[in-house]
Amino acid sequence: MITVQVEGLAKTFFDEARGAIHAVDGVSFECRAGTIFGLLGANGAGKTTTLRMLATILRPTAGRARVMGHDVVAEPEVVRRSLGFYSASTALYPRLTARETLEFFARVNRYPRERVGARVDELVERFGIDRFESVRVEKLSSGMKQKVSIARTVVHDPPVLVFDEPTVGLDVINALEMQDVIRALRAEGKTIIFSTHVMSEAEKLCDTIVIIHGGRLLASGSLEEHRRATGKHYLEDIFVQYVREGG
Amino acid sequence: MAESPVLILLGRELRSAVRERSIVVNSILIPVFLYPLLLWGLFTALTVVDGLAERARSRVAVHGVPEAHQELLDSLRALPAIELVESTTVEDAERQLRAGELDLVADLEAAGASSPGLAENFRVRLLYDRALERSRRARARAAGVIERYRERWLSRRVEELAIPRAEVVGFRIDPHSVSTGRQLGTLVLSEVLPLFIVVMVALGCFIPAIDTTAGERERSTWETTLILAASRRDVVVAKYLYVTALGFVAGALNVIAMFVTMAPVVAPIVAQTGEDFAFSLPVLAFPVMVLGTFVLALFFAAAMMILAAFARTFKEGQGMVTPVFWLALVPLLFGQGSESTLTPATAAIPVANVAMMLRDAVRGVYQWPLIAETLAVTLGIVVLCLLVARTMLRFEDFLIGAYDGSFWRFLRERTFGRGAASRRRVGRALT
Amino acid sequence: MVDGGGGVLGTLYRYELRMLLRDTRTIAIAVVAPLLLFPVLILLAREAERRREAVIERATYRYALTGTEEDFAYYRVQEALAIETFDPDTAARPPATFLHDRSPNPDSLVRAGAIQVVVEGLAADEYLRVRARELAERPGEDSAALAELAELPEVPVLRLHYRTDSDVSRAAFERLQERLEQVRRQQRDSVYRAYGLAIDLSELGGLEARNVATGERETGALLGVLLTPLLLFLMLSGGSIVAVDAISGEKERGTLETLLTTAARRSEIVAAKQLAVVTVGIVVTVVNLANLFVYIVLDLIELPQELAVSIGPLSLLVLLALYLPLTVLVSSGLLLISGWAKSYKEYQLYFLPLFAVVFLPSLAVLLPGMELGSAIALVPVAGVAVAVREVMLGELDWPFLALAALSTGGAAWGAARLTERALSTERLISGTELDQADLAGGPALFPRRVLRWFGLLWVVLLVSSAWAGESLGLVRQVLFNVVGLFFGGSLLMVRAYRLELRAAFALRPAPAAAWPAVLIGAPAALVIGVGLAEAFQRFVPVPEEVLRSFGQFLGAGELPLWQIVLILAVIPGVFEELAFRGVLMHGLAPRLRPVPLALAVGAIFGIFHVSLWRIVPTAYLGVVLAAVVLLTGSIYPAMLWHALNNLIAIVPVELGWVSEDYDLPMWSYPAASAGLALSFTLLWWTRRAAGKMQHVGTGPGGGRP
Repeated sequence: MITVQVEGLAKTFFDEARGAIHAVDGVSFECRAGTIFGLLGANGAGKTTTLRMLATILRPTAGRARVMGHDVVAEPEVVRRSLGFYSASTALYPRLTARETLEFFARVNRYPRERVGARVDELVERFGIDRFESVRVEKLSSGMKQKVSIARTVVHDPPVLVFDEPTVGLDVINALEMQDVIRALRAEGKTIIFSTHVMSEAEKLCDTIVIIHGGRLLASGSLEEHRRATGKHYLEDIFVQYVREGG
Repeated sequence: MAESPVLILLGRELRSAVRERSIVVNSILIPVFLYPLLLWGLFTALTVVDGLAERARSRVAVHGVPEAHQELLDSLRALPAIELVESTTVEDAERQLRAGELDLVADLEAAGASSPGLAENFRVRLLYDRALERSRRARARAAGVIERYRERWLSRRVEELAIPRAEVVGFRIDPHSVSTGRQLGTLVLSEVLPLFIVVMVALGCFIPAIDTTAGERERSTWETTLILAASRRDVVVAKYLYVTALGFVAGALNVIAMFVTMAPVVAPIVAQTGEDFAFSLPVLAFPVMVLGTFVLALFFAAAMMILAAFARTFKEGQGMVTPVFWLALVPLLFGQGSESTLTPATAAIPVANVAMMLRDAVRGVYQWPLIAETLAVTLGIVVLCLLVARTMLRFEDFLIGAYDGSFWRFLRERTFGRGAASRRRVGRALT
Repeated sequence: MVDGGGGVLGTLYRYELRMLLRDTRTIAIAVVAPLLLFPVLILLAREAERRREAVIERATYRYALTGTEEDFAYYRVQEALAIETFDPDTAARPPATFLHDRSPNPDSLVRAGAIQVVVEGLAADEYLRVRARELAERPGEDSAALAELAELPEVPVLRLHYRTDSDVSRAAFERLQERLEQVRRQQRDSVYRAYGLAIDLSELGGLEARNVATGERETGALLGVLLTPLLLFLMLSGGSIVAVDAISGEKERGTLETLLTTAARRSEIVAAKQLAVVTVGIVVTVVNLANLFVYIVLDLIELPQELAVSIGPLSLLVLLALYLPLTVLVSSGLLLISGWAKSYKEYQLYFLPLFAVVFLPSLAVLLPGMELGSAIALVPVAGVAVAVREVMLGELDWPFLALAALSTGGAAWGAARLTERALSTERLISGTELDQADLAGGPALFPRRVLRWFGLLWVVLLVSSAWAGESLGLVRQVLFNVVGLFFGGSLLMVRAYRLELRAAFALRPAPAAAWPAVLIGAPAALVIGVGLAEAFQRFVPVPEEVLRSFGQFLGAGELPLWQIVLILAVIPGVFEELAFRGVLMHGLAPRLRPVPLALAVGAIFGIFHVSLWRIVPTAYLGVVLAAVVLLTGSIYPAMLWHALNNLIAIVPVELGWVSEDYDLPMWSYPAASAGLALSFTLLWWTRRAAGKMQHVGTGPGGGRP
């Protein structure tokens, strides 16, 4: 089932000195339920901007995007209800406890009130937060914070999940844990859109890999399809090949 | 000989400061723009008020003017600011006054002819609403006219009775202030300048002190600084000099800006009171003022930095330093008035002593032994702060910022030696 | 799956408050500390004041006697000092002791402070001589003073010499003067009695004033004036406690983005935060007011006796209805700056201007002649302040009350909408990448710096006028201000930012049709300008003094005509245009669309004319001239227009063709409007004919379409 559709999405910023900056320049793709869709590209390629447009944080300058059939511009709140957004820069409220954080985000995302308590219990157990559920976030270590962050991303059970460079700054163990979580979520039938510039991660996780460079989509397909198209084996070389060809 | 590390560090601090908007605004932009703006605003407000006051005419109802005193009625009518209103009876007029339709009711009546030669004696009763400003103004205007008329009438009566005027007046009293313009100007300056310098230096030190300690922690450049090849001592000295420099510059700039902007304009305004003001300072006052400003900067920099150093974010730092700021200003309450001057007792109170020293200097009074005491007390406190700082830097947990900004907890644990608790805290802060 | 909207709003609000209550340090410092600090401060201040007074009052005052009538003075002073012991008034103050000091040179001793007051006895003619000499030494208008002197009765004079700048000397003088006045009055009374006037002097032409206002009414008036500023102050400082964290703090911590990705609407987020700000603001206000009440009860603050508060329930309701929009406005304003600021520190930078903008209008209630039934009801904050005073006086003018509430409420709503927009993270991202211009410097940087430069020019203008204004004379002042400051400053800017000369000064050839447009438009615009100035004066009247000083200054009667034309028409016409419609407009053009650009340039031009009553017509002229330059793309027509404008405004009056108070006939206004419309139609037509809008500023990357 197609859950996310992006057609000709573009975003232009105006800068006094440099004039128009085309951060995203006509990107189109589709995502299906139960798959991990990867956006691969260098820093400044336009991955984050694209994802932010999907999350309705930014308005597209052109093009359309639909999440679960709802247009991001026309029905932003409905879109946000169906979406869970995780980014390294989205922080937690320091003075709430872990449990309160989950309850807060469940409620604010309009999860049915009578089921909030049970849902939070479920997540607390699943992510091993029970050891510190009553401790304030400001006192948690970064590994614990990461767990709480993931939990709050999925607390309202959205069908689509967006992870923007989720393993940036994590140590090996935590990064691997993150990857396990993402795989588990895929097994539950979620649509996962995942951006990274770490090639090995993309190789391991993604069903579909999309290469973005200079705001444009250079190629799209599974890892095997990319290997056949470029004749290279490693994703790094594949990436470089596409960039050279200019798409 | 290698370049002094303190100077290199100081250079970096100053360069960062100039690019930090809040510091630039507070220390440079405000002195340059605020005073002219205030000045212009004040001027405009005053002229607008004048214009409005002139335009507001007072509605006055006058009753029962005896035949002999028609002149009074004419005088009232002649005043453009007064508008005479007709009304039937005094009760009616009073009702209108209470309802706000009238500003003043003047009820004249012939007084009893209980003495010969004064058959035309009269009495005036003014009814006004003290709650309303326009009624008060009406009263002042009318009372002025009535007073003058009364004087004229009285002197005519006196003439008629052939009482020599000289005997009536007896003698005259003429007040004469021998204060020169300079003395008056000095009075104003001595009240305003010391207070102003203290506040401006404290404000000038405020943000840099927090920024260079808690701010660095927040920006995560604290560690960067700690691993430099410079010694801890050099780092601290450089930061301290930086804060002192900014405090001093802020104080000086503000004083100069205020003087340059306000003095030429305030003098004429004040001169309208009839007195003749001249703002000037004795020559020896300048070095004393510079010295005082510098010493104040040293003091505030030390006190504020010590407290801010415990904070981890700018906001925490501000929370810690603000009470100190207010406390430091309290002693100033005791220094007001033209008679207060530096004494051995007051020279021992920090901040207040420097303020008094400055006030004396403005007045041209120099009590060198007491000035020495003032400097000794203030510098003594500064040295104490620096020693405390040096001690604090030896503690690891302080360096890593494990105290959440609590100076008291630090003190408590150091005094009661709860080493284990602090080690645990270090451990947690590092993960 | 659907949860009611109220649920989300309620959740956001509750959690906002919960997090605030856990920030114990902030609460301690912002709420508890002031409560403890104020009584201490008040007590200390009172103690300091008391001590100061004691020093002054307990002093032994030393006085001296001099003068040709020294004996006369001696006897009078003895009489005066004898009174002291009988006066019931001294029960309130410690009795004063006066010591006679017989040292020589008492004058110098007064200056040195050893003697507090010198009584100099002078005969009448002696006194006249002394005064005349003194008046001759002082500069200024003294014909009035001399005439007064001539009218004085021929009696001896006691001159009391004292020092204004010494508290003790002033106190000594005041007390001695009081007693001497009483001696004089007693003497006069005895004279009257000797001549048969048997009644008390105060009954001759007695003047009595009676206040009809009740204590409650007076209290109401006082409270009415103080209440709004006080509440505003408390709400601004209390609300800030939440507002600073609400958006800018969250931006800094990174939690704002998290919040924006949830299903909550922007409007809900803003509303929840606003409720939090309002809640805390109200709590802080109530706490502080209760505190104030406690201080009054504990006698820490002294109140005048007659105060009595009585507010009817209806008035109370009206007050609430008035303060509600005000509260929302304050919280909207606080949230707005929190939304604009990228960090805690930046918030504090914006707080001071916000405070000024919100607080100062509430002081309008102090202006004389302020009535609610006037245009003031349309001004947010000021309207409410004036309305509150009238309500406290028991006057309920319903239509205008509603107007005041609506205008403030409208402003609040506007601010709330702006805050919603400020939450778009577009600004959060693109805000930090602009420093490319910082690196390149030069013309790309100028638009960001231009206002600073002109601000500096304004400051220099103000300060130099204050110091040297009058002494320079008209010609030199114009040359210095217009050529030196304005034009010189512009040249400096051109050099510093390497601006292209032609573009910066708009030195392009003008289309032919522009010239007739100028000739028609200049007089027309002048007439309308005069009308505008008069209309403005109806709202904000000019005091006589200011009018006179304008007239005096421009009345350069001694100058020959060609100089007047040069100094007042040609030079400003050329150089002010180059500075304002040239460099300034060039700097602002990349960032503003044409209409706001013309308005901004006009406003800034107006501000440079400092005095309020010149700002309005000058700003209007500035807007017109800016429009001319924008439409024709050239500065030359504007120069001619400006010069013509000044010429027509000044020369006829100088030459005496027209008197200063000449009132324009009523038909001139419609005629002028027609003329101006015609002129601008012509100009618009030239623009069309040229094919495209002539932009004054074309920065790299092109101006905004």
